[in-house]
Order: sequence, then C-alpha cells, then structure tokens
Amino acid sequence: MSNMLTVTQVEKYYGNKGNLTKALDGVSFSVMEGEFVGIMGASGSGKTTLLNCISTIDKVTSGQIVIGGKDITEMKSRQLSEFRRKKLGFIFQDFNLLDTLTAQENIILPLTISAVNHREALARTLEVAQTLGITDVLLKYPYQMSGGQRQRVAAARAIVSKPSMVLADEPTGALDSKSSRILLESMEKLNVELSATILMVTHDAFAASYCKRILFIKDGQLFNELIRGQQTRRDFYGKIIEIISLLGGDVSHVL
Amino acid sequence: MYYKLAFRNVKKSLRDYLLYFLTLTFAVCIFYVFNSVEAQEVMLKISTSEKEILKTLTQMIDYISIFVSFILGFLIVSANHFLIRRRKKELGIYLLLGMKKSRVSRILVIETLFIGVISLAFGLLAGVFLSQWMSIFTAKIFQADMTGYQFVFSVNAFVKTLIYFGLIFVVVILASTFAVSRNKLIDLFSAQSKNEKPAVRHPVFTVILFVLSIACLGVAYQQVLKYGIMDFDYKLLREIILGAVGTFLFFASLSGFFLKLLQKCKGFYYKDLNFFILRQINSRINSAHISISFVCLMLFCTIGILSTGLGMNRAMENSLSAATAFDVEMYTGAGGAMSISDDLTSKGIALSDYAKTTYEYTDYTNPAILGTQVLTTDLYEKLQKEYFMSGREDPVPFIRLSDYNALLGMKDKPALVLKDGQIAFSYSAASQGFRDVVQEKWNQTGKISLLGQEYQVYPQILSESFVSIGADSNLAIIVPDSFLLDSAGKVTGGFSVSGSYLQFNCTGDSKTVQDELEKRVESFYGEDASSVDYFMVTRNVIQASYAGTKAIIAYVGIYIGLVFLLTSAAVLSLQQLSEISDNRQRYLVLRKIGADDRLIDITILRQTAIYFLLPLSLAVIHSIVGLRVANDAIRSLGGVNAAQNILITAALILIVYGAYFLATFMGSRRMIVREGRNE
Repeated sequence: MSNMLTVTQVEKYYGNKGNLTKALDGVSFSVMEGEFVGIMGASGSGKTTLLNCISTIDKVTSGQIVIGGKDITEMKSRQLSEFRRKKLGFIFQDFNLLDTLTAQENIILPLTISAVNHREALARTLEVAQTLGITDVLLKYPYQMSGGQRQRVAAARAIVSKPSMVLADEPTGALDSKSSRILLESMEKLNVELSATILMVTHDAFAASYCKRILFIKDGQLFNELIRGQQTRRDFYGKIIEIISLLGGDVSHVL
Repeated sequence: MYYKLAFRNVKKSLRDYLLYFLTLTFAVCIFYVFNSVEAQEVMLKISTSEKEILKTLTQMIDYISIFVSFILGFLIVSANHFLIRRRKKELGIYLLLGMKKSRVSRILVIETLFIGVISLAFGLLAGVFLSQWMSIFTAKIFQADMTGYQFVFSVNAFVKTLIYFGLIFVVVILASTFAVSRNKLIDLFSAQSKNEKPAVRHPVFTVILFVLSIACLGVAYQQVLKYGIMDFDYKLLREIILGAVGTFLFFASLSGFFLKLLQKCKGFYYKDLNFFILRQINSRINSAHISISFVCLMLFCTIGILSTGLGMNRAMENSLSAATAFDVEMYTGAGGAMSISDDLTSKGIALSDYAKTTYEYTDYTNPAILGTQVLTTDLYEKLQKEYFMSGREDPVPFIRLSDYNALLGMKDKPALVLKDGQIAFSYSAASQGFRDVVQEKWNQTGKISLLGQEYQVYPQILSESFVSIGADSNLAIIVPDSFLLDSAGKVTGGFSVSGSYLQFNCTGDSKTVQDELEKRVESFYGEDASSVDYFMVTRNVIQASYAGTKAIIAYVGIYIGLVFLLTSAAVLSLQQLSEISDNRQRYLVLRKIGADDRLIDITILRQTAIYFLLPLSLAVIHSIVGLRVANDAIRSLGGVNAAQNILITAALILIVYGAYFLATFMGSRRMIVREGRNE
C-alpha cells in the first residue's frame, strides 16, 4: 500500500503582519490508498481550510501536499482545475442531484465535464451503477427515486471519474439521521468494495464512527489520532466522544 | 442615508440593471422619435394638403402611442418585478435588521426614480438625435425637398414622453411597493427555488405534435406561395391561422422531439454539457413555448412590418402613375345634358389656357345589362367571396371604341382593333388575380350574348386605366361605335348616356396650373346653383393622398415594428434571466462537480443563444416565404428594391436583439460565475 495523500508541514496564514491568523499551523499526516479517514475538530479549528487546501480550492502559505505522487502546491490554476476534475471526487452536504437529469445523466456529468469519450463514459456509468445496485433507476429522474437511491446516485457521481480520492465536506450536515446512515453506509461500501480512498471532514461523532481512522485538529494543529482497528462501531463512537470532550469546547456541538 | 443606500445599490447592481436600463432607454427613444414627427414639418417644403396628412398621421401616432405605452408599461413593470425577485434576500436583510417596510419601499422608489431619470435623459437625448435623421426619411416619403437643416426639437413630444413614462414609473413604484409589503420575511429568505418535478411528455406524442406542426407550416407556406397575399380574403385568413397554429405546435414539440433525436446521437448528446442544456430547455418549455411562439410571431411581424414600412418610400410610385393617367380628370353624372368643356367655357374658363389637347367622352348604360348578368351569377358570387367585390348589380358602362382609342392616342399607346362582332372587357382597377379569374371564364366560352345577339370576346382583358373616378375604373365593355349609335349618331338599343368625362394634361408647370384650375372651378361652386355638379380630380390631390398612405403605413409600421422588436427581445431576455436565477442551484452544482468557468460560459452562451435564435430562425423562415410573396405584391404596386429594406431591417434587429442577447448573457454569467464564487 502506498501513500495516496501526504501533507507535510502545511501552513495557512490569513491576515497581515500585525494581525496574523494561523488557520493551519504545521499540519503533517498521510493517508494510505484505500483508507477511510475522518477529520474532526471544532468550528474554526481549521478542518475546512485543510480540506479546501487538499481539494485545490485554496492555496497553502507553505508546506507540501502530494496527492497520488503529484505536488499540488506547485501546480498552476489551469492544471489545478483539470487535476480537480480528474483526480478528486466530491460528496456535498446535500446531494445536489440535478432534478432535470436522469440518474444516468447525473452520474455521467463529471465525465462529460472532463470530456471523456461518450462510449467510455457510458460504460463506466453502468459499471459504477452495478456496484452500487442502482442499474434499475438509471433512466429515472431524482423525483422518481427513493431517498436511498438518490444518495447512492450521488455517491456514484462522486466516484465515476475514478478519482484518486473522494473528499466529503460535512456530508451529513443537512440530513436527518436515517438519511445520514444510508449515506454513510454507501460511503463505507465505496471504501470496502471499491477500495476508494475517502477523506471526510465532519464534526458529527456518529458520522466519524464509520471511518477507519480519525484525525483531530485543534487551532490549526493536529491534536490526536484515533484508529478503529478491530473495535465495533459502538466502542469506536465512545472513544470519539471521549476525545471530543478532551478537546473541549465542542461538546455542545456533539450532544 | 436612504439616498446613499439606494445609490450604492444601483451602482453595485449596475449590471443587473443593465437590461432594465436598456429597455427603458430604447422605449423612451422610440416614443420620442415617433411623437416628434409633426415637428419635423418645419424642415420640409410640402403642400397644404400634405400638411393636413401630416396632422392625420400625428393623430394616428397619438392613438398608437397609447397602445404602445401599455405594452412598454407592462414590459417595464415585469422587468422591475424580476429585479425585485432577484433581490429578495437583500430586502429580507433590511427587514430583519429592523427597517420598516415603508422605508424599504422608499429605497426601492428612490432606486427606480434614479434609474428612471437617467434612462429618460439618455432615451430623450438619443431620441432627439434620431429624430433629426428621421426627418430625412420623412422628406423622402413625401418626396419633398428639405428647406435646409434646422435642429428639430419637439416640445410636444418631450412633454408627452415625460408624462407617459412618468405614469409608467408611478405604476412601477406602486407595483414594487406592493411586492415588498405583500411578502413575508420568511418568503424573502427562502426565495431559492426548490427542486421541481420536470414535466415529461410522452415521446410518441411529441413526435406526432412535431410532424403536425411541420405539416401545418408546410401547407400554410404552400398556400401562401400559391395564392399570394395581394387580396385579403378567406384564403389568407386560413393561411395565417395555419401558420400561427403551426408555430405554436412547433415550439411545443420542438425540444421534446430534438431531445429524443439527439439522445440517439450519443457523441453529441454527451459532449460538453449539451444534455444538460437540452434537459434544461425541455424542463421549461411547457411554460416557455407560448411566450416563445408569441415572440416568434412578433418577430415575424416585425420583419414584415419593418421592411414594408421602410420600403414604402419607394413603393407605389408605379401605381401612382397608373392611377393618374392624366393631370386633370373631370366627371359629371348629369347624363350628358351638357358637355363639360362647354359649361366651363360658359363660366369663363378657357381650357386652352391650361392644356394643349383635351378629350371629352361619355359612357353608356342599358338598364337591361347588369354586372351579374355579364359575369354570370356563379362567377359574380365567387368574385364577391374571394375578392370582396362590391355590388355590381348596377348597369355595366359601355365605352365607344373611338373614344377608347382617342384616349390611348393621348397616352401614345397603339390603338385597339376590334374585329367584326367583337367586344372587349376592361378591368383597370382590379387585381391580377381577379383579372385571371375572369379571363379564365372568357377563355372557356369566348362568347357573350348581349341583347339577344352573340359577340366574340376580345381574347385579352384590357387593363389600361384612364380615369380614377367614375364607374369604368372597374368593369367596362368596349364596343364598336355602331353598337351604341345608329347611323344618325343617335343612341340606340335601349342605351342612354350615363356620365361625361373630360381629361387632359396641363401645360407648363403642371403642379401650379393644376392648383390654379382647381381654385377656379371651386370658386364657382355654390355661386351658381344651376351649375353642373363636377367631380374633379387632379394629379396633385392623388399624389398627396398616396404620400399620406405611404407615410401612415411607413410610420405606423416602423413604430409598431420597433416596439414589437423591443418587446420580443426584452421578453426573451427576462425569461432567460429568471430561468437562470431560479435554477442557479443547478449551475452551482456543475461548478462544484468541476466545471470550470469556461465550460459554464459555453453552457450559458449556448442556452441563451438557443433561446434567442429559436424564435428568430422560425420568424426568418416565415419571413422568407412571407416577403417573397409580399415582394410580388409590392412589386405589382410599384416595384421596390426589397433587398435594401431587408438589410436595414436585419441591421435593426441585429442591434436591438444583439444588445439584449449580450445583456442577457452577461447577466446570466454574472449570476452564476461571480456570485457562485462567493458561496
């Protein structure tokens, strides 16, 4: 197993000399291929800044981010948008399926945006749909599908371009608990069955308990790391709550 | 503070206001230019009768302006409505911060007034300059010389524009105040449209509709090409209805049909975001197709009306020369009791003062020979139905061959030769189609029975016109002298003299001579009750009335054409912008998935282009057919170089339509690309 993502001494400063905010202050970690990693932290801890830097939306002040062997901090903006399209997949807070498009068209979108040949694109769509068990809804519109099907379509869209890494920013943020569970299960499925590398930012302990490893971040620095190993999800959840209370200040967010 | 806030808002959302500003400025400009026509008179050397016509024209424009102000008012109110909808969230924040609704309304009022004053100023400025150019056009229409350049400023039109648009602004202000007071805070915040169920039509149904629409249009085209539009009759009505229905069906089924078709060409369908665009259009077409069809028909009207209006300054010149065979025509229905020239001489008017040669003749009627009889009742009914031919149950006028040939001689035309037992028909004022119908009938029989005797009909129906007054401008029968007169010169065969005609060309400066003669003849009207009642027409009068018709068609056509053009462009633009605004979420998703600005630009550009080009293309196809036919009509009226008018029309459309297209594209792009970045 090789490193999919290596973050080395990343710093991100906002403001000027007189009033400097260190959003990220020397963060280093790595994610292996096929891992499902969560990043937790309180509001303002820097977790979203970190995700933005990794997803090439934001630029670091110093340090290196290497994804799949490529240093994205060295890339120019054109290369970046191409890199984002081809190497990264996104899962959003709300599923953001386009209601005018059928499931198949929704899934194929990232491929047409990166100008993949339509034959290949259609073949890949079918392949992903088979893995996620949504072949029978491919020609349906989102309003004709169940909630679970919709979420699986969204997941299919995130991985159809065979991204090196799937980035999820608070994916359960706008969902009720039942929908959250369905989404997290399908993400787990992506990770286990398709060995997709997933990096998820969340402050929801329940969502985090689906990860294999969790990085805690506080005031722009890595604070702790938790590995699930052979624990049950329930035990893991307990551990997470413990760490959060250690972190302090964010308990109200969780409970 | 409110003023500051309002100004800053306008400055900040300048590009949002661009469309609004554009519509207002164009509207004000058009309104001023056409209402200032009367003031252009000072620049022109025109006769009194032409001045009268200019007055009539001004009056007509007054009425049309009311209609136009309704259309423009509606447009401006809906443009403003769109702006308020766009800013719901901003207004919500003001309310949330504790500002009173009346204060928020006041900010909107100040903004509206601010934009209104600026666009009024710009529109009037542009209008004043355009009206200078317009007077050249007016001069051309009246074939008048320009007395020399004079800066024209119409106080009348200026005040009128201020009043009309002032009223429109009052309505706009009321509407926006109402919009604010009606809305609840929660609605202002949750203005983002939610996912909606797209309307899906059954593909087979769509295909049937599409085929039906093509059939409708095809039949309409074929009919109009076959029958032309020279005569307003039930056929034309049928063609118009078929065309309109075809247009509506076309747009109702187009997107569904093409969606199905293009889904088969996967290479194209899945290229860029084509399928997104198609789906987007398809999802809206149910509500949009009606307005798109209207826009298409309006554009068709615009193209037709504008190019006809512009063509008017050259059309009708030929028909003018046809209508006025001679400088002066006099007619009296007094049964030939006295010859016109003798009567004039007795009143001290010597015709030799006015003309080198004159010719006087009479026509004859027989109460037993009626129009229906000559034409046969069948044919008569057909003509009445298709050509709205008016009552011809009157006796048909007969003209002696010698008179006819004398008149031909005055016009330097070869004489008509009738064989023994042959008579000729003349329809001078009838349309070609009408003449063809009658000709066809004579071709079949070639014979006619009059007063119990059979006559050969001269194979061609004569179309030479000699008089614009009197009965024989329509149907007349030319017969050998012996048919009407016996050897002693007495009228025989139950005929009697019907009317007398006197015709001549004036010598010298014809225009002034005509005026003089007219004055003199008029001077003894009423003076002497016993004098013969004359009907006198001079070339001057006919020319003036032609110029008047031309001017009215031209101005009204261009006025309405421009307003239609403005309305269609603005409606499309508003529709597209509100669609983008309502569906912003979808475009933002595309961005998040990885579509870069370039791809989003392409998508918006294609979508806007489709919205703008669809109705325009069908309108252009309609117009190609329409103008082809119209050209034949106009050519027969007076030969006109249509290409130039069409080019001017195209240029106008390009400017107005193009401006709106650009404003729409930039507005849509701004909504997605720029605002999307901030989220």
